[in-house]
Amino acid sequence: MSDADAPAGGRSTAPRRFPASVFGRGTEPDARFSLANERTFLAWIRTGLALLAGGVALEALGLGIQPGFRLAASLILIVAGLLTPLQGWFGWARTERALRLSTPLPSAPLALPLAIVVGVVGVLVLIGVLV
Amino acid sequence: MTLFDPGLQPERTALAWRRTALALFVGSLVAMRILPEVLGAWAVVLGLAGVIAAGGLLWAVHRRYRTHHRMLLEEGDRTTLAGGRLIAATTLFCVLAAALTLVLVVVMAITGFSLVPLAR
Repeated sequence: MSDADAPAGGRSTAPRRFPASVFGRGTEPDARFSLANERTFLAWIRTGLALLAGGVALEALGLGIQPGFRLAASLILIVAGLLTPLQGWFGWARTERALRLSTPLPSAPLALPLAIVVGVVGVLVLIGVLV
Repeated sequence: MTLFDPGLQPERTALAWRRTALALFVGSLVAMRILPEVLGAWAVVLGLAGVIAAGGLLWAVHRRYRTHHRMLLEEGDRTTLAGGRLIAATTLFCVLAAALTLVLVVVMAITGFSLVPLAR
């Protein structure tokens, strides 16, 4: 677990890994950190799938919500569901690079906008139910 | 079975992948149930593509876990784990699925389609 004790040589037999922008520099971090990073990526993916499911469910089920507000809420959810996998990928790559270079971990720029968006969708659905 | 880590990190990661694949699988089945009334026969093609992708993901994840497990036991925590190909492929698939979903919802809104007609 100590730092900088891995020899730079002796790794030449390791396969080249995708993407080179991540694995092309730094040294191997503790595998447990990489695995945790992978699980964070998967959590973003599942969040995205849940947003898609919510968007489709709103439109497919109707639920007595005013059609305009319902469509707006649905589209916002699905666009969010399109952006979350991208946050997952770029977050994963930046984090893995930071782990390899022993630099501070990046924040997730989409976390706050996503929270706001889900709140907005809640308000839209509420208005759509009341109208 | 010998384990690399008392925290079971590789095992937890494999389970997280399986949860994700399961969500894709269920989502594809639901899509196959909803889409035919909007898209016709294309719905079955898209649904089957999702089911096959989810199955392929489970298989790839199984291989990935076995590789990680073996390498961690043999080489310890500084071993070279698998790269990001599966992660990139998963991202791409989900972005494409989201784009298709966006089109679908717009079509559903235009045609006034609803699974529950009385609730509109």
